Amino acid sequence: MSQPTAPETLGSLTDETPVDPNSKASQEIAGKSPLRIAAGRLLKDKIAMACAFVILFFILIAIFAGVISDFFGVNTDTQSPSQFLDVLNGGMPKPEYGPPNGGFTMDHPFGIAPRSADDNLAYWLYGARTSLMIATGATLFATIVGIVVGLLAGFLGGVVDRVLSFFVDTFLTVPFILAALTIAPILNERFNDSDNYPTIQKFSLVAVLALFGWMGMARLIRGEVLSLREREFVQAARVLGMPTSRILFKELMPNLAAPIIISVSLMLPAFVAAEAGLAFLGIGVTDGASWGRTISFATTYFEQYPLYLWEPLIGVVLLVLSLNLLGDAIRDALDPKTRR
Amino acid sequence: MKRNKPLALVAGVALLSLAACGGGGDDSSSSGSGSDRSFGEQTGGTKDAKRQGPAAEVDGATAGGTVTVYLPGDPGPNSLDPTDGWSVTGNSIQQALTHRSLTQYVRDSETGDPVLVPDLATDLGTANEDYTEWTFTIRDDATWEDGKPVTAEEVAFGMQRSLDADTFPSGPGTEYSKQYFLDGDSYGGPYTDKGKKYDGITVNGQDVTIKMATPFPDMDYWGAFMAMGPAPLGNASKPPNYGQDPLSNGPYMIEDFQPNQELTLVKNEQWDPNSDPGRHQYVDKWVFKFNQDQAKVDQIMLSDNTDSQTAISTALGSDKYTEANDALGDRLVQQTSQCVSTLTPDYTKITDINVRKALAYAYPYEDVWFATGEVPGVTRIPANSVMPPGMAGKKDFQVDGEQITYNPEKAKELLAEAGEEGYEITMVYYEVDPLAVAGQKQITKGFEEAGFKVKAIPVQVSPYDIWLDPDNKTNKQLNLRGVNWCSDWPAGSTMLPPLLKTDAVYNTAQFSEDAIDQKMKDIATLPLDEQGDAWGALDEEIMTDYFPIIPTAFRNDLFVFGSKIGNPTGDGALGAPNYKDVFVMQ
Amino acid sequence: MFAYLVKRLISGALVLTLVSMAIFLLFWYGPSSPAQTICDRETSNRCGNRIEIYERTLGFDNPVHEEYLKWAKGVFVGRDIQIASTTYECDAPCLGVSYLTKQPVSEELVERLPATVSVAIGGAFLYLLFGIPIGVAAARRRGSVADKALVSSFLFLSSIPYYLFALLTWLYLTVLWEAPFVSDTGYFPITENPAKWFGGMFLAWVALGIFGCTQYTRYSRGSMVEALSEDYIRTARAKGLPERTVVYKHGLRAALVPVVTIFGIDFGTLLAGTIFTERIFDINGIGFWSLQAVQAKDLPVVAATALFSAVLLIISNLIVDVIYSVLDPRVRLS
Repeated sequence: MSQPTAPETLGSLTDETPVDPNSKASQEIAGKSPLRIAAGRLLKDKIAMACAFVILFFILIAIFAGVISDFFGVNTDTQSPSQFLDVLNGGMPKPEYGPPNGGFTMDHPFGIAPRSADDNLAYWLYGARTSLMIATGATLFATIVGIVVGLLAGFLGGVVDRVLSFFVDTFLTVPFILAALTIAPILNERFNDSDNYPTIQKFSLVAVLALFGWMGMARLIRGEVLSLREREFVQAARVLGMPTSRILFKELMPNLAAPIIISVSLMLPAFVAAEAGLAFLGIGVTDGASWGRTISFATTYFEQYPLYLWEPLIGVVLLVLSLNLLGDAIRDALDPKTRR
Repeated sequence: MKRNKPLALVAGVALLSLAACGGGGDDSSSSGSGSDRSFGEQTGGTKDAKRQGPAAEVDGATAGGTVTVYLPGDPGPNSLDPTDGWSVTGNSIQQALTHRSLTQYVRDSETGDPVLVPDLATDLGTANEDYTEWTFTIRDDATWEDGKPVTAEEVAFGMQRSLDADTFPSGPGTEYSKQYFLDGDSYGGPYTDKGKKYDGITVNGQDVTIKMATPFPDMDYWGAFMAMGPAPLGNASKPPNYGQDPLSNGPYMIEDFQPNQELTLVKNEQWDPNSDPGRHQYVDKWVFKFNQDQAKVDQIMLSDNTDSQTAISTALGSDKYTEANDALGDRLVQQTSQCVSTLTPDYTKITDINVRKALAYAYPYEDVWFATGEVPGVTRIPANSVMPPGMAGKKDFQVDGEQITYNPEKAKELLAEAGEEGYEITMVYYEVDPLAVAGQKQITKGFEEAGFKVKAIPVQVSPYDIWLDPDNKTNKQLNLRGVNWCSDWPAGSTMLPPLLKTDAVYNTAQFSEDAIDQKMKDIATLPLDEQGDAWGALDEEIMTDYFPIIPTAFRNDLFVFGSKIGNPTGDGALGAPNYKDVFVMQ
Repeated sequence: MFAYLVKRLISGALVLTLVSMAIFLLFWYGPSSPAQTICDRETSNRCGNRIEIYERTLGFDNPVHEEYLKWAKGVFVGRDIQIASTTYECDAPCLGVSYLTKQPVSEELVERLPATVSVAIGGAFLYLLFGIPIGVAAARRRGSVADKALVSSFLFLSSIPYYLFALLTWLYLTVLWEAPFVSDTGYFPITENPAKWFGGMFLAWVALGIFGCTQYTRYSRGSMVEALSEDYIRTARAKGLPERTVVYKHGLRAALVPVVTIFGIDFGTLLAGTIFTERIFDINGIGFWSLQAVQAKDLPVVAATALFSAVLLIISNLIVDVIYSVLDPRVRLS
């Protein structure tokens, strides 16, 4: 082959110098664990770092949503629209309360919503919290289920493998959105007179997302385990009479770290997007702040008040984008063979 | 794109307006604040028993063209069976275009008032002295779409069908035929009581005679419902299949009907203009599109593109009101619809009138209207009592001397007076509709500021499902419900009894006072010209003495007409666009 | 091969049975009875005691397994369905009668199919039209600035949630700029007015196509790079074949194999109905129908659309595997 193979990762877009496998540098890093090598690569990847900062920013917002909104003096309490909105102007906020007809004000830095007069900033901050909380929760559950199923199927093999694989296939054929649309209202209705309904609603959304999000992870882990199972060190452990649980956790798990990290890093943005997407369709969080929900309200006001739409939209896009790009970078970093 | 109102959302805030509306009695006008536009008023309510076909030509009318009617957030009727029709949407379309009945309303082109004129009957019917027997003479020149003549037997059969409450549980006959017609309570109708002979309606040549159980002076108004029209005899009109494709006898017939989606009407060549005093056949084809997305329709109508020039929209989004008001001129029609929105405190649970009044002061009227996408002062105006403006006998009183508005301090005082500080209110809201959720948040906030405690239960079904079901577990917890009601014809008898009579279906307040029930009965026996004032007085008495129901708003509609639609007007009798007199400018 | 097909078909049937059972149970044990919805609708919320009639005729008072068997039998031989006092005829394949329109679901499904098929074909066509040439071009110029810019910009694009991309496309082109030709999105039968059909669909295709082709660019670029590094390409070059022949005849053919497989599955998914696309662009297809049905608790329609998409996914998976084995002799089905 005549052309030199450029490392076709996102990393190559940065100024990372390709490492010649026979060079001295390469000899030096040979002693590092794969995860440390990957971390080293990531740190040099400017785009990945930028994404990580954006994500950190959103995480901080999510954690300190209350503090930040107190700092700006805004909250998600119900407002009195008649005080803030202008009946003569299509129900838009009065000019003194900010855009679209007035300048920005410190009282409501992001403006206020038409129709409800809710403070946009407070809803945006808490929307970030909802988004990240639900995505993290769903990722956590889906990952645990996926790992357990994948390990069991891959390691035990035989009937167990066949049955579990069948379930994976079955879940893969169920259309996710349709299922979520069907299940979420049923769960909500069951608990609708409960006092902490908003919390239950979030939990049921996490459950629905996780229920249809674990299959990819399970497949991946199963595949890895299948190939690892035949490797010498596992065979050796078996021969030595190690209990199965010990083999699973001491021998297999460390080798599964890379695929799990990759999988998680791609699952998170998918769940963030899914949460907002479902809220946009009117399912999911109906009681409280959610970016997707604000987006679905704001499309109506797009012409008169585009800012109202753009605020949550930028939130979702920026977060999903950063998570996706970071996930990609992580994948590249962990897997030197990756080619896109 | 469907945005805020996917299918299940439609019943949310707008809830459902059940009854068709009638034209009004005395003169009273209302104009929307924040707008120099005046409403299509519901005044006059005159009758013209002599009117004969053909209907007077509309100035400048030309024939031809297709009119598309967008019905944003309105699912339309589930069935087109005339006996089943008891919704503003279905009745306004069918009564104007496809289905004739004993009488009908036409719009007076000078005053805009609805006038009750004959339809299939040759006049407005003749009653005996005490209104217990009515006779209508059926005209002999009306035909079905298949060319066969409409016979008196078929009219009588159609009317008998309205007594079948089991087959047509949501038909208007359950309220009127069952109550007023002879043996209405015992006769189950032609399907439920198969083969049983019914003596209440008799046919003699072209004359149809109806015997009443109690005096019924409003029979001529009731005759304007399509339920009081003909149905083909026997299996040809067997429900429910008949409801998908009923035989037409008006100027248009049904080409295609997809419930909740689309209804297409085409010219009925068999219809003879000379036989009909009220209808025209200017347009070639009508397409009604149900369940449309409000924002999308607004955008189409305001764009004035080729499609929208011959289109009508039956609603306008609040966000576009100002823009439309400036841009559309006469093409934006505001029409009062003789409807009232109410909150109904459970009379058996909230027994103290001061608590009920405190609720009225704690309800943040304008905030709720804003939050639910209404235009305060235009599509919703403050209400003082149950009877809507423009209705015969309507009194312009105020329970507490002035219009009740949001006033948490006053509510607190009333609660303190009743010794019920921190009174807990339990209500439901329709969680599927984001607007209903937003509205509930305002209500909760208002109530809480006024010293109530609020437990708002989100439900996934229309709140009516809960409110009207006595066995419902959730319903049993509630002490605050609501109902939106429209008049069926311009008389208090179609407003007060359905909402406040003991055990009436829509009496979600569970209001029950023997004295009031008796007064409602007595009014029906009064001479006709005294009844209006009597209803007005009763309205005031109920509100002043009991305050069992909190009227939150009188409702108005906004219609948008395309630039090539001729004669853009509203139909005051039904609260819909005036389909009868519309044409496409050629 | 034959044995493999049979095996796959059996497991596919099993999956379908399980999916249909799950849907059935979901509604059966959901808190609000589906009978309540239909009863309320038919009686304008004066259902009251009539709920019993509806529950009895719809079979909600029978054990769930009996009803499931009845339903399953109907799929193969058709059956009569009674709702309250009326009996509706439902021919095989009977997927029930819509609670909303009282039409047999399978008929309505067929009615809505043209809209969804229109979206799917147009969208999928653009996937390939944009995706493969761009991917191949990028592969040939691998490592160049153009390649890097393309790869990173497409990565960026595909990282945006699709429905927001589609929403913005619609909002800007149709609402704000009122772009000519695409101002009225939706499905209009091609038989009535081909131009309007095209105009109504165009934006949906473009949104789907641009978004979806990013993935195809990736795939085709990746597999082209791989194919071009194969020995037989080197041989072909060494023989002195023109570069065009080498790239397009020898390289592309091999590179397309994996792309075809992904395409098959994507096309199946598109045919099952694209809820976001159909909702945003107001296309009355199967995806939008299922969304409406869920909201209206129209059980038979929800079950039918879910099953329909499961069937399509299973079939497209199977077809793809078979095609794969035909295209690539190294793959043997077992």
